[in-house]
Amino acid sequence: MASDVSAAGSRRTARHERRALWKGLAFASPFLLGFVVFIAYPMVASGYYSFTDFNLFQSPTWVGLANYRHMFSDSTFWQALWNTLFMTAVGVPLTIIIGLAGAHVLNFPIKGQPIYRALVYVPVIVPIVVGSYLWRWMLNSQYGYVDRLLQLLGLPQPAWLTEPAWGKPAILLIALWTIGSTLLIYLAAIRDVPQELYEAAQLDGAGSWRRFVNITWPRLTPVTLFQIIVVMISYLQIFTQPYLLTQANAVGNGAAASGGAGNSMLSLSMYLFENAFSFLKMGYASAMAWVLFVLTLLITLILLWSSKLWVHYDNND
Amino acid sequence: MTTTIDPGARVRQRRATNPRAGRTARTRRGAARWTVQRVLLVALILAFFFPFLVMLTTAFKTPADIFHAPPTLWPRHWTLANFASAIKAIPFWLYLGNTLLIAAISVIGVLISAPLVAYSLSKIRWRGRNSLLVVVLATMMLPPQVTMIPIYLLWNKVGLSNGMVPLVVPTFLGVPFLVYLIRQFLIAVPDELLEAARMDGAHELRIYWSVVLPIARPALVTSAVFQFVWAWTDFMNPLIYLGDSGKYTLSLGLYSFFSQEGVNWGPLMAACVLFTLPAFAIFIVAQRYFISGVAAGALK
Amino acid sequence: MTVRKSRHRRAATALAASAVGLALAISGCSAGGSGSGSGKTTITFSYLWTGNEAAALQQIVADFNKSQSQITVDAVSNPDQTKQLSSMASMNGSFDVSDSYGSNVGSWASKGILEPLGGYGIDTSDFIPSVLAQDEYQGKLYAIPIATQEYKLLYNKTLFAQAGITSPPTTMDEFAQDIAKTTKTTAGGTITQLGLGTSSAYDLLSTLAYVFGGQWDTDGKPSPTNAGNIAAMNWYKTNVLDKYGASNIAKFESGYGEYMTAQDPFYTGKIAMTLDGEWQSANIAKTAPNLKWGVADIPAASPALANATQTYSSMFFIPVNSKHKQAAATFLKYLTGPQAMLSFTKAIGNLPARTSLLDAKAYNSLPGFDVWLQGLKSKNLFAFAPSTYATQYQADLTTAFSDFVLGTQSAQAAMASVGQKAASYGQ
Repeated sequence: MASDVSAAGSRRTARHERRALWKGLAFASPFLLGFVVFIAYPMVASGYYSFTDFNLFQSPTWVGLANYRHMFSDSTFWQALWNTLFMTAVGVPLTIIIGLAGAHVLNFPIKGQPIYRALVYVPVIVPIVVGSYLWRWMLNSQYGYVDRLLQLLGLPQPAWLTEPAWGKPAILLIALWTIGSTLLIYLAAIRDVPQELYEAAQLDGAGSWRRFVNITWPRLTPVTLFQIIVVMISYLQIFTQPYLLTQANAVGNGAAASGGAGNSMLSLSMYLFENAFSFLKMGYASAMAWVLFVLTLLITLILLWSSKLWVHYDNND
Repeated sequence: MTTTIDPGARVRQRRATNPRAGRTARTRRGAARWTVQRVLLVALILAFFFPFLVMLTTAFKTPADIFHAPPTLWPRHWTLANFASAIKAIPFWLYLGNTLLIAAISVIGVLISAPLVAYSLSKIRWRGRNSLLVVVLATMMLPPQVTMIPIYLLWNKVGLSNGMVPLVVPTFLGVPFLVYLIRQFLIAVPDELLEAARMDGAHELRIYWSVVLPIARPALVTSAVFQFVWAWTDFMNPLIYLGDSGKYTLSLGLYSFFSQEGVNWGPLMAACVLFTLPAFAIFIVAQRYFISGVAAGALK
Repeated sequence: MTVRKSRHRRAATALAASAVGLALAISGCSAGGSGSGSGKTTITFSYLWTGNEAAALQQIVADFNKSQSQITVDAVSNPDQTKQLSSMASMNGSFDVSDSYGSNVGSWASKGILEPLGGYGIDTSDFIPSVLAQDEYQGKLYAIPIATQEYKLLYNKTLFAQAGITSPPTTMDEFAQDIAKTTKTTAGGTITQLGLGTSSAYDLLSTLAYVFGGQWDTDGKPSPTNAGNIAAMNWYKTNVLDKYGASNIAKFESGYGEYMTAQDPFYTGKIAMTLDGEWQSANIAKTAPNLKWGVADIPAASPALANATQTYSSMFFIPVNSKHKQAAATFLKYLTGPQAMLSFTKAIGNLPARTSLLDAKAYNSLPGFDVWLQGLKSKNLFAFAPSTYATQYQADLTTAFSDFVLGTQSAQAAMASVGQKAASYGQ
């Protein structure tokens, strides 16, 4: 009786679960197929290639750890790695700070909000090729506007694209120009904070900085964590901007090797690409890709672990 | 009745109850704050928008004005010659057509596949759903460089590595970010409607098609808009996969423009303006989808 | 029961539908290629040139198509070299004939992607031997040269006159003196005019090395630390870098306009002398017609090295994955025949690769071209060896030269670091 019912019930539930499983898988099948073909298989394949010497036209030959050992002594690789890590270490905090500050500015009660938000976001939808060439022109030391502005302000005007020290700041400038989405995300997050908390704090005599630190910031930490991770990943992979900034005209016969003055603008991704498609050292390039991947994972894990120390998750909203 | 995530609504609600909204410059401190706020806002907007002005004005300048040191912003003589030579220098309309075709097909691909997967991750309760979600999120973090070479070799082996096929096929297989975006949207949709339909014996696909998709329209529009802009502006994939100049997209067209002997900044800027216009137009029209999509994807 | 079955069927249909759709998508747009129907063969000729040069090629192709009826050549401009490679690696290549630099022959032939041309009956007796040699690998011919590039000393006649120099230098000492006479600086050391400058440190230094008896390849291996190379770099250091300050020079160079445009530093008088190639002849006439310039042999460090210089060549090749090799070879013969070569090299302002064309009157309309033409008869023509490591070697040299010119590394150290990297080229 009761046990019959429950037995029948659990049989029905089991059948129901199986049906649900099939349905779930069926709907997810495009992704599953894509995952196998475009993620899982290539990951295994590139892992394999990283242990081979492979020039694209002939079969790969197994070389064991030779590629990784070579990386260790390859000064260009370390230069590229350093460049990439530098840009990440500087770019991510700047993105957060400017994003946050900018969001506050956008939050000012000045009429015309939709227009300002749009204007700030537009650089994000500009084709990356357009943006890079545009900035290449603006950073020109003779006819460029950036140096002209610096001149008007009485500040020193570096030769952005030819001086090794200024190559990476040039790339950062372009990258920071496109942080519109960070601003908007923060703007939405700031507006999510209940006004009552601010009013209560004001009654207690807290100044605006205090209010920010104690009310706004804690609520922004989850978004900040997400932003830091996402932005960090994009900096580690940066390719198009430095590639186009250092692109040489295809005249004459000297090797049009990009990388900026003394390779100061060579990112890891660029060096990888060069090894794969110019030098035809696909095995070596694959090894580099895996190093990049492991690096990304490590930093992400460290960030996630550190989040326990500074991220406040609240349960309302 | 919609349960869309609309930060705007929340804002308006808060503004209504905020006594400090629309502050005036009645006090002296108020006046100073009023000015400071406006100055900061203008500075912010200029910083982001100034490069556009440069692009626009340079496109209309004569070489004499362009190569004038120190540079001035406004042209002394306006000219359309740069646009004419830009269109002549590269097969502009051909590239435009190619770019449009690729963007359109990839939007279709996304609209077909992403909601399917998002539906599986949000409205069907099945074992393994959460694991799949984790996998989807993890793939967003994978550097494309890791899979780039084997994928290239794969396409090479089937003889399709020269053309747009490698560019659009992945969009038919679920783009992780958009899957996640739509999933977040669907989570907020109440299940009662679906349960009712299920109890009526409707097939899952039918529920998906006639009940869920219409509700999900805002998220779909957002996805379409995002995907269009990504496809429109993509550079690295066309660089790898588009071999003949006849197949180039505008990104590559600009890139080859630059490689020719002697960069012509005037026509290059003109070409940039032309290239940006469609993406810009879409943005103006669909602005709120972009902005709500950006916020929704990141906040929840 | 019926419900369950049809639900499963639904799911299965969904899966099948997407699979079919995928298959259709894949089979649908495949790379368009060359068809051959009705007896006529169509081949694709993809070239890196653009602009005027492309126009000149199109004319030649049109002439070929008109001159016979078995082969139709479809010519397209594809400037990106990376794509060229990916086409050659693909199962369905997108071209049957293409062009590249001679320096790629070694690397590509060793990978088996170039079709050996020995068996196609192309007569190579008229080609300049040292140029033809650049297209051979392990004794087999893999490409046919079309044009040669050669470096000479260009100088600004107006600036020379201002400095009281009546004729271009013929010895290294005169060269050094002329540099000193034509370099102008302000009291603070800022340069306003540079005696010997360049838009490419790589071009300048790699060529200078030959003039000092240096060699970049020895016995099929890279030899960056060859004594002559170092001597050349040190000569440049003494007479330019150290004399005027590497940072001053870097600052001056950062204000250069784009190479080969109206703002080119040599055209605008920022540089008095430079080492450059014969393409300048046509380009200056077009872009800077008011410039008074002259061209002379580069001074040599010793009489035995008289008229020493660096040469490159452009060549045409047939990729191994071409499906119409015979037709491609026929077209190749025409393309590198004396008539086509003459009209093409004249149009692009490059030197011909055939000995018989070195005295052709048709080049007289190009100012100063004669110096380059006669230079090709010199016995001191040098080039990078057709090796498997050329691309990477040149990239590493470019980086090293950049460090050297910025003053961050001495010639010895810079070249030693290239030598270190070169040790791993074999992999």
